[in-house]
Amino acid sequence: MNPATAARVIDDLGALLLLSMIVIIAASQIARAIYAVAAQSLLIAIAGAVLAAATGNRDLWVIAGITLAIKAMLLPWVLHRVLRQMNVRREVEPVIPNTATLTITVIIVVMAFHLNASLGSVRQSITGNALPVGIALTLLGVLVMATRRKALTQMVGLFASENGIFFTAMSVTAGMPLIIEIGVILDVILAALVMTVMVLRVRSTVDADIADLDRLRG
Amino acid sequence: MATTLLWVLPLVPTATALLMLSSRDRRVLSALDVAGSSVLCALAVLLAIEVARHGPRAFGVLRIDDLGLVFLLLLVTLTLAVSVYTVGWLRQAVAVGNMKADALRSYFALVHAFVATMVVTVLADNLGVLWIAMEGTTITSAVLIGYHGHHHGLEAAWKYIIVTTIGISFGLFGTVLVFAAAASHGGPGTMNWSSIVPVASTLDPGIIRIGFIFVLIGYGTKAGLAPMHLWLPDAHSQAATPVSALLSGVLIKCAMLGIIRFQVIAAAACGAAFPAQVLLVFGLLSVVVATPFILAQHDLKRLLGYHSVEHVGIIALGLGFGGPIGTYGALLHVVNHGVTKALAFFAAGTAIARYGSRDMRVIRGLLHVAPVGGILLLLAALSLAGVPPFSIFVSELMILRAGIGQAHGLSVAIFLAMVVIIFAGLLHHVGAMTFGQPTAAAARDPEAVSPLLAMALLAAIMVLLGLTIPGGLDGLLRRATAIIVV
Repeated sequence: MNPATAARVIDDLGALLLLSMIVIIAASQIARAIYAVAAQSLLIAIAGAVLAAATGNRDLWVIAGITLAIKAMLLPWVLHRVLRQMNVRREVEPVIPNTATLTITVIIVVMAFHLNASLGSVRQSITGNALPVGIALTLLGVLVMATRRKALTQMVGLFASENGIFFTAMSVTAGMPLIIEIGVILDVILAALVMTVMVLRVRSTVDADIADLDRLRG
Repeated sequence: MATTLLWVLPLVPTATALLMLSSRDRRVLSALDVAGSSVLCALAVLLAIEVARHGPRAFGVLRIDDLGLVFLLLLVTLTLAVSVYTVGWLRQAVAVGNMKADALRSYFALVHAFVATMVVTVLADNLGVLWIAMEGTTITSAVLIGYHGHHHGLEAAWKYIIVTTIGISFGLFGTVLVFAAAASHGGPGTMNWSSIVPVASTLDPGIIRIGFIFVLIGYGTKAGLAPMHLWLPDAHSQAATPVSALLSGVLIKCAMLGIIRFQVIAAAACGAAFPAQVLLVFGLLSVVVATPFILAQHDLKRLLGYHSVEHVGIIALGLGFGGPIGTYGALLHVVNHGVTKALAFFAAGTAIARYGSRDMRVIRGLLHVAPVGGILLLLAALSLAGVPPFSIFVSELMILRAGIGQAHGLSVAIFLAMVVIIFAGLLHHVGAMTFGQPTAAAARDPEAVSPLLAMALLAAIMVLLGLTIPGGLDGLLRRATAIIVV
C-alpha cells in the first residue's frame, strides 16, 4: 500500500472513529455504549494494520492483533458480563442533559482541529488528520467519564480515551516501541479488572452503583 | 556493580511481595516486611555511594542520576519507617478487628508491590516505562485504599482510580507527543529521557508546549495539584495509616519527579520561562485551594490530606520560581515534607486508634494519655506549619527567597498570606487535640514500642534537617539542582 493511500484510509478511519465516539456519547443504554466502544477498538486495530502494511513496521501488526483481541473482544465481553450480573435497572444517567454534552462534543472537536492548524510545521511530519482526531477522542473519552454517573459508562469512557491515545501514537510516530505499548495495554487490563471487582463488591454490600456514592465530602 | 544494583533494586520489593504469600502468621509476615524494607534501604544506600563516586548509571530502560537518587532515598527511608510502624500498628488493628487476620498476607504483598512500582517510577529512564509504572502505582494503591472493604473505602478507591486514570491518560498523551517531536526532528528515536535531553533544544517548541501541558495535567493529577486534587483527601484519609504515609509521603513526590523530567525537556525546547510559569500557576492554586479546607476540617486524616495539596503546591512553586535557590528549595521540600508528613500520619493514626475516632473534636488531651505520641504529633504539626527550627521552615524560606529574588511579588504575597493562615489553623486544631483534659473515649493502654521507634526515626531526621543539612545530602541536592537548572 503506498503512503498516500494509507493516509487517505487513516483519514477515513478517523472520521469513523469520531462517529463511534458520538454514538458512545449519545447512547441511552449502557449495552449500546459497550458495542460502540468495541467497534471503535476494531477500527483502531484496522488502522494499525493499515499503517503496518504502509510502513512495513512489523511491531504494528502485533499491536493491531493485541488491540483486536483485548480491546475489541475481551474487555467489552467483561463489561457485558458485569452488566448482566449487576442487573442494572436504571440506564445511562447523565449528570448534564445529553444535548448539552453533544454541544460540548462539537466544541471539543472543533477546538482539536483548530489546535492542530495552529501547530503549523509539526503537521508535516504527521499522517493527515490523525492528531486532531486523537486529541478529540482522548478529550471526549474524559467527557464521558466526567458526565456519567454509572460506573460501567465511566469505564467505557476510559477505554475510549485510551483508544484516542493509541490512535495518536500509531499515526504520529508509526507506533511507540512495542514493549511500551504492551505494557500500556497490560495496565489497562489490570485497571479494568480492579474496577470490575470494586463495582461488584459495592453492588453486593450496599446495593448501589459505586460511581453514585457520595458520602465523602468536605 | 552499580548497574547490577539498578535492576536488582525493583526486584527486592517484588521478591518480598511474593515471599509474603508463603505465610499466614502475623509475626512472620511482619518480620519479612521489616527485613525486605531493610534490604531495599541498604541496597539503595550502596547505589547512592556508587553514584556519588562514579556519576549516573544506566541499564536498559532504567537509569539513576542524582535527581532520581533524592527521591529514591526518600522512598526507601519511608518504606523502612512504614515497615517498623506496621509491626505495632497491625497488632492493634487485628485486635480491634480493623484488619482481618486471614487476609494479612495479601495486604503485605500489595504494599510491597506498590513499593516496587514506585521504585520503577523513580529509576525509569524510558518515559514509556515511567508512565507504565505510574499507572502500576495507581492500580496497586487503589486496591490498598479499598482494602478493608467498607463502602467508604471503596468509594474513595473508585474516585481515586477513575480520576487518576483519566489524569494519567493525559500524561500518556503528552508522552506520545514529546516522543513524536523527538522522533520526527532528527532525534534519537528512543523514549529514553537521557537521550532526549541532549537534543531537546532542537525539538519543535509548539508540540513540546502542548506535550508539557498534557503531562503536567496528567502527572499533576497524581501529585495532587489543584484543581485535579479532588481524589486526594478521600484516598489519603480512607487508606490504612501505613498506606496513607506512603501515598502522602512518597507517591505524590514520584509524580512530581515525572513532572520535573518533562520540565527539563520543555525548558530546553521552549525556554525555562514557559514551564516555570505553568508550574507557578498550579502551585499557587493548590496552596490557595487547600487553605479553607484545612481551616474548616474536623477529620484528622482529611486535614493531613489537604496539607499534602498545600505542600505539593509549595514544591511546584519552588520549581516555578526556579533558579538554583528555588529548585534546591523545592527538592529539599520534597524530602522534608515526605518525612514530616509520614510522621504526621503515623502520629495521627496512633491517636485515632486510641480514641476510636477520626473526629478532631473527640481527640482531646492526648498528652495526658499518651505523652510520647502526643509530643510527636505536636512536633509534626509544628513542622508542617513551618515553625523554626524544623526542616520545612528551611525549605519554605528558600522557596520564598527565590520568589523574592525573581521579583514574583504578587505570588510571594499570596503564598505568605496562605502560609500564615494555615499556620494559625493547624496550631488551633492540634493544640486542642494535644492539650486539655482527655475525653472519656480515650483508651489508657501503654504506648506500643515499634510505632514510637518508627516515629522517633522520622522525627530525628526532621529535626536534624532543620538544624543542618549534612554535607552528603547537600552535595546530592546541589548536583540534582544542576540537572534541572542548566
